[in-house]
Amino acid sequence: MSMEDYDYLFKIVLIGNAGVGKTCLVRRFTQGLFPPGQGATIGVDFMIKTVEIKGEKVKLQIWDTAGQERFRSITQSYYRSANALILTYDITCEDSFRCLPEWLREIEQYANNQVVTILVGNKIDLAEKREVLRQRAEDFAEAQSMLYLETSAKESDNVEKLFLDLACELIREAKQNKLDNNDTAPMPGEGKTISYLSCCSLN
Amino acid sequence: MQSQKNHCSVCCTLLFKAILIALSVCVCVCVCVCVCVLSEQYCCDCDYLVTTFFPYLALLSCLCTELPSRVCGCCGALRPRYKRLVDNIFPEDPEDGLVKANMEKLTFYALSAPEKLDRIGAYLSERLSRDVARHRYGYVCIAMEALDQLLMACHCQSINLFVESFLKMVRKLLESDKPNLQILGTNSFVKFANIEEDTPSYHRSYDFFVSRFSEMCHSSYEDPDIRTKIRMAGIKGLQGVVRKTVNDELQANIWDPQHMDKIVPSLLFNLQSGERTESRSPSPLQASEKEKESPVELTERCFRELLGRAAYGNIKNAVTPVLMHLDNHSLWEGKTFAVRCFKIIMYSIQSQHSHLVIQQLLGHLDANSKNSATVRAGIVEVLLEAAAIAASGSVGPTVLEVFNTLLRQLRLSVDYELTGSYDGSVNIGTKIIKAHEERQLQEAVIRTIGSFANTLPTYQRSEVMLFIMGKIPVPGVHPALPSTGSGPEGTRMIQVMLLKSLVQVTAGFQTTNMLTALPSSFLEPLLSFSLTEDPEIRLLVLQILLSLIDRHDNTPKFSNIRCVIISDISVLKLKVDKCSRQDNLFMKKHGQQLYRHIYLGCKEQSSGRQHYETLFALLGLLSVELANEEVVVDLIRLALALQDLALSTDEAMPVFNRCAVHALAAAYLNLICQLTTVPAFCQHIHEVIEVRQKESPYLLPEDVFIDNPKLPSSLEKVEGEVLFLQSKITEVLGGSGYNTDRLATPYVPQYTDEDRLSKRKSIGETISLQVEVESRNSPEKEEVISWTPAEEITFETLKNAIENDDDDDCFLFPFRPPPSPSGTISSGYGQSQSRSVPIYEMKFPDLCVY
Repeated sequence: MSMEDYDYLFKIVLIGNAGVGKTCLVRRFTQGLFPPGQGATIGVDFMIKTVEIKGEKVKLQIWDTAGQERFRSITQSYYRSANALILTYDITCEDSFRCLPEWLREIEQYANNQVVTILVGNKIDLAEKREVLRQRAEDFAEAQSMLYLETSAKESDNVEKLFLDLACELIREAKQNKLDNNDTAPMPGEGKTISYLSCCSLN
Repeated sequence: MQSQKNHCSVCCTLLFKAILIALSVCVCVCVCVCVCVLSEQYCCDCDYLVTTFFPYLALLSCLCTELPSRVCGCCGALRPRYKRLVDNIFPEDPEDGLVKANMEKLTFYALSAPEKLDRIGAYLSERLSRDVARHRYGYVCIAMEALDQLLMACHCQSINLFVESFLKMVRKLLESDKPNLQILGTNSFVKFANIEEDTPSYHRSYDFFVSRFSEMCHSSYEDPDIRTKIRMAGIKGLQGVVRKTVNDELQANIWDPQHMDKIVPSLLFNLQSGERTESRSPSPLQASEKEKESPVELTERCFRELLGRAAYGNIKNAVTPVLMHLDNHSLWEGKTFAVRCFKIIMYSIQSQHSHLVIQQLLGHLDANSKNSATVRAGIVEVLLEAAAIAASGSVGPTVLEVFNTLLRQLRLSVDYELTGSYDGSVNIGTKIIKAHEERQLQEAVIRTIGSFANTLPTYQRSEVMLFIMGKIPVPGVHPALPSTGSGPEGTRMIQVMLLKSLVQVTAGFQTTNMLTALPSSFLEPLLSFSLTEDPEIRLLVLQILLSLIDRHDNTPKFSNIRCVIISDISVLKLKVDKCSRQDNLFMKKHGQQLYRHIYLGCKEQSSGRQHYETLFALLGLLSVELANEEVVVDLIRLALALQDLALSTDEAMPVFNRCAVHALAAAYLNLICQLTTVPAFCQHIHEVIEVRQKESPYLLPEDVFIDNPKLPSSLEKVEGEVLFLQSKITEVLGGSGYNTDRLATPYVPQYTDEDRLSKRKSIGETISLQVEVESRNSPEKEEVISWTPAEEITFETLKNAIENDDDDDCFLFPFRPPPSPSGTISSGYGQSQSRSVPIYEMKFPDLCVY
């Protein structure tokens, strides 16, 4: 049996209101481009990227969900198996920030409870139109014990950092969990034989 | 084998060192040729060669490591045979495609040494990963083709481990963002899915495949052609996952919500988006591709297959996402798509499960009780269609629950319409209730009730009739009406709605045994409604009676009273069966009641043209469906009594009603005389009608039952030859053996307690009570009935009141005995009471609470 081409595999799901820039964040990270006039995502989108962190290959499966209400039922079904959620809002849109508690309720309801959630305020390139102050978002994130980051998919600010930080955090958690319960039975499948235990066995 | 491996590893290290030693190329070439010859000769494991030609090989290999393996094929001698065989299937130029001859060799090898299969798989997968990473897509395709062929060839043997590498490769392809690789991977997966494995697999998960295929179903690739291809691949992939997992208990349960919530919406999305494109006019290009299956067709096929495989326990998980999808995409309002979905569902699932779908729909309707009327109407419409498809299986074991839910919705809708809000309190103004939408919903619910009832066998249908009858409110009985604000108007509307439902339920109702199908517990409350002052309610009751009595589709033949004055009724082509014994018993028991209600119905001042026409139809039906000699005599007496009624000056009847009653009597006598086929009788009737035609046409249907009848301002001098004569009729019928004594006695309707009691100015003033003796004694008493002060009277006191108190202004009880399923005696009339428990209470003690 040949070796897998990665040491860790994580599933990351992006959620948040429609039009906050989820797809652009993913495109910027995976393809290094900022698609102007990106249309609304239909249902869900899939991207993959392998990064190397401290010599370990980390494969990130990124599921980019539609923000539109009508796709809510299918997008919710993707939360369940996520290792990490990127909850995105638009710093120039107060509404998208106000909806966050609602999204947190959804996460509570549908995601597994070990999921790592990170709050992302996108579109910092439009600083002059900012409606949500950084402090406010930081306070909110802290109150909900989430990580917080502000990004710009357009200027590529913090995008790389967002995913890499997340990957680090996930590796840390995975190792932690591995120590905690070394004898956890592996999650069947995902192509791993029993000897290749890794993060996904911990869901 | 072990020694072989050792040899290999030893020689590997040696060979490595040998690279350092410089040797002349020509020597190598010589050796090379020599080895090649030998290797052809001993086409076996490398063992032999290694031991025999070790020194030469050492030299040789140093060359080979520097040259691409394909250039120097002979070096394969050093690699394990399976790797050599795998390498050989790849052509130098990927354009050339799979090397077929070598592929055959590989297949043969795999078949003869199945234990090597997993290594072949692993190696192929390794190569493929490398090729994907290096964008050598030609080789990727070749590798997949080889894998497919191996899978097909070897599937009879255990392919368990091989499958691991195979799936890894498919996954690798699916991870790619290149559409052609995704499609390639999907196609291979689909081929694999069609293989039936004989050994179960313990650690195989299709999570990723379900997620990815669902995602592909939603592809938004820019190029529409490629987008369609990706979406179709997604659908096929999902179909494959379902096929692969559905029968294997060890594998992930595909019916789990986590999978169904992805699969079903993805399918529906494609089913729906197809609908949108279909509506466009097809371009010629599309027409030429018509042979190919469209995404919509594919989706539908896949959806049907999925549903067809659903077992009893899985239906819920499969249908729930459908309901959610329709909710989220607001597809109930449009109806067509929702109906289409559920048609597919109903036709695809195993028929014994169809009631589960109906139950879920009903549950969903309840859950949407506070949603807008259009949404509720959409769900009801779907129910209507679904019920028709599921036919006998649609209702399932909980017949009355189905009807209870629908009736509850009807009542809620009436409340919403009247109170203008969804919670009965002061309108907070969240949503505006549109009365006309509620009306449409009510119509839809009523039709749906009919549709469900149509699927039931006769005995269940009469049970449902009883159930609905038990729900019809009489003020004072159901004080717990939720609609505090709707008051008497609400009660009336509910009455009308429920009677309309009964009209639907009874439509087409055909029974051989009237007596058991229509127990007094149903007939009596029904008839009591025929005596209210509300003309709409009276008309509904008449319609219900018509459909109950009509068993040969004769009703339409009586629908046009104006044409009935004809000399020969044979043109009506009435279907007449001989009266059965049960029919005779039925008429013996209920005949008098029916006559009385017809008589009183004619007398009602608010009766209009429609009422008289319906009354005529009722008389006609009685004559053809249920008449024996005795009944015929009674009916003739009734007709004559009606004539007397029209002549009477005591009753303050308007001219129209008098003329109408005359016309009705004439039309009916004309009918009955021909049915009796007594020539003298016919002659008398004919003569009178002829006189009327000359002198007073306003006493005949032709002039009365038209839009603007020309009637005299007052009716005087209606006497002599324009009247039918009792004596004459008695005389002519006596000659034919009819009971003349009885004919000579004029018909006088017997006023019973029931009539006195229910004949009140308005239902609002009527206090009535449905005595539910049994339920009062039952433990569920508290939840069953909430007693109001008016009802804090025990049954005994009420009974005493009836017996002792003659002043009926004090207590007026249109006594309604509870419907009894067995049709046992509950003689009514307020004097005695039935102790039977209504069947719906036995089954659903809590159904009494609205």
